[in-house]
Amino acid sequence: MINPEALRFLTAVSSSEYSGPTLKMGSLIASVFDAHLGVVYVGDKANEFHGGAVNLTRHNLENWDIIHPGLEVLKWALGELKRFNPNNAGLARIQFNADHIFEEDGRIKVILPEEKGCRVELILREGDLVDQMRKEIQLEGYDLAIIGGSQNKQHLAHSIIQYLPSSIFVLQKFSPQKQYKLLLLVDDSDATQKSIEWGALIAKKLGWPVKTLTVSKTKLFGPGYQGAADMAKTYFESRDIEVEQFFISGDPVTTFVDFAGDDHMIIMGASTLNPIKQLLFGSKPIKTLARTGVPILIVR
Amino acid sequence: MNVYVDILFWIRQKKWLLIALVYGISLHFWVTPPADLNPAAYDALIIISMALILIITEPLPLPAIAIFMLFMQVVLGIDTANNVASYFMNDAVFFIMGSLMLAVAIVSQGLDKRLALGIIKLTGHKTWRIVAGFTAISAILASFIGEHTVAAMMMPVGLTLVRYANKDPRKVAGLTAALLFSIAYGATIGSIGTPSGGGRNVIMMNYWTEFGVGTVSYLEWMKYIYPMVLFQIPFTVMILLWTFKPEQDNLDTAVRKLVVEVARAGKVKAREWMAIVLFALVFFGWVFLSEDYGLGIIALVGVFLYLAFGLVEWSELNRKTNWGVILLFGAAISIGIQMNETGAAQWIANMIISNLSRVIDSPTVLQGSVSVLLTGVMSNILSSSATVAVVGPIVLDLGGDQILIGFATAIASAFGYFTAVAAPACTIIYSSGLVKSKDFLRAGWKMAVLSVLSLLGLALFWWPVLR
Repeated sequence: MINPEALRFLTAVSSSEYSGPTLKMGSLIASVFDAHLGVVYVGDKANEFHGGAVNLTRHNLENWDIIHPGLEVLKWALGELKRFNPNNAGLARIQFNADHIFEEDGRIKVILPEEKGCRVELILREGDLVDQMRKEIQLEGYDLAIIGGSQNKQHLAHSIIQYLPSSIFVLQKFSPQKQYKLLLLVDDSDATQKSIEWGALIAKKLGWPVKTLTVSKTKLFGPGYQGAADMAKTYFESRDIEVEQFFISGDPVTTFVDFAGDDHMIIMGASTLNPIKQLLFGSKPIKTLARTGVPILIVR
Repeated sequence: MNVYVDILFWIRQKKWLLIALVYGISLHFWVTPPADLNPAAYDALIIISMALILIITEPLPLPAIAIFMLFMQVVLGIDTANNVASYFMNDAVFFIMGSLMLAVAIVSQGLDKRLALGIIKLTGHKTWRIVAGFTAISAILASFIGEHTVAAMMMPVGLTLVRYANKDPRKVAGLTAALLFSIAYGATIGSIGTPSGGGRNVIMMNYWTEFGVGTVSYLEWMKYIYPMVLFQIPFTVMILLWTFKPEQDNLDTAVRKLVVEVARAGKVKAREWMAIVLFALVFFGWVFLSEDYGLGIIALVGVFLYLAFGLVEWSELNRKTNWGVILLFGAAISIGIQMNETGAAQWIANMIISNLSRVIDSPTVLQGSVSVLLTGVMSNILSSSATVAVVGPIVLDLGGDQILIGFATAIASAFGYFTAVAAPACTIIYSSGLVKSKDFLRAGWKMAVLSVLSLLGLALFWWPVLR
């Protein structure tokens, strides 16, 4: 069961130039859920041959008050979070101090003063994005990773979905002004139950209408599919959330993508396929993320 | 299920380790070595090619790759454990160790602020003069104290000027690139000037001694190569100004603010004078005593003096020295020596000559172009010093004047202008996040043309005068 009182979200930023929209959405979603928000900067790691020379230079730069470019991004991120949350007094009181950092577990953590209402953490990591985010999620036990719609979507989608050990929200063209409908994909897999919980949480917080979609490759919908759809309906109705049910026969991924169009946000469970099969043949979430242009939450 | 994901993720992260292992095991057990290559030489080539895959793709930390190279020499029966150990530690490794520690000791003195003032006094406020000053000072200093030390000291000066020129460096991208590349390329072209300019120069000198080619003194090295350093400085400045086109012709405000900032450091302190005097002693030791004592031992004497006079703490040296690189160079040199001892280097050299002699008639042109091309290309993928450690034994077996071929190789190892990985100074400016990979390509090809032409000029017109 999801504990809505102790949610922990993680969002990755790369630069002040490109990460503004992702950070804004991450901040918005975290504030809607009153969740703890970790902001991680994952930068390039210097070639190991010259890593010592780079570190020596960085130490020297500190004497000139020139900080690590990653810390500059995190400083910018904190400023942006304050701007996005003008009513958060705790956050407003926090000042970024590049000297207050702590190196541990292969990462640099910016130490922020304890302020009531401020649930933000700033982390600097260097290396491969998927590897570093995976380590961060494992270390801090994040529930949800919020990721911008990457230009390298096809390449990254597979690794992100397969290897990040948390639920993943990919913000593709997500607009906070837009009134989305939640499209919950329901089948007889184990992940459906948790998807329903996330769907209910989001629908309740944002007041979005919910559609459940069950897709069968044949004309027949077995008891497993029917039972899962009914369970979802009951769950939503018990929480006073309006829900519509749809049953469609066809190719699942094509149906999801076509049905979602450009005005839904998709919620679906992570694949329960054998990881080796996922690696070789892909999975429904991987294929759906690769083909759809709408925001998608993959629940694990 | 999670265990499978963990295993798959491990495979994703370590795929190049697995590829290297499959490659090495296949060659060792299932491929018949060429008839004219003895088994020890064949195994040495397997180890070095596996190590190259691992070094370029980095699935393992460098010390792990170093350890792999060492134990594989013994496991595959190339040599005894004691011999491998004796090849592992020599004066070239002492020099790399000493120069890395000297870099920490020198950088920690805060002399960069004095340096900044000195440069500004020389150059004034005009942008082109500052770029020229940065290039010239970086080149000349790097030729004596090593490019990583110079880049570490010059970077704050360059970045401070950029910061004062405009709060948003993206708005002065041309100026930023021109200043940072003047440090990186300046230090790189300077690093060939003397043996102490870079570990790769000392590795080549070590190979000359180990392989019985002869010895070259510190001053002789300078005599052969320093003219090329001086010749390249003005052309490098022109290339940088032509490529990056700084947005401001004059850095009046930025320079004034920089002067105010560095003036806070006050007068030169006694410990700073002491640091300068100690380095001067090390320098004179390299010039006059290195033939008797070795460059590495003299560098270590310098480290000892810095520690003895309390100018640097051991904890600082220990924390900031890249011990992994020292291990790797020790291992790379030991396998390089094995390539020579087993005949592997000679076999590759023969193969190159027999294949290319059909295309290039003149042996001298063939030897020179192969050594320069091979070293230059590998430097851009690997790293300049590692390239010399690996390629050195091969090019020295190509025939011809081994001293001149060695010089050409050491010089070409500084042609890593195209990527951020080749030279420490390039990696350092790239780590600022203010220059992009494509900037290295934009300026790099012009620098490569300049350097190749300069080397050609040196070989055709200057070296014949000296030999």
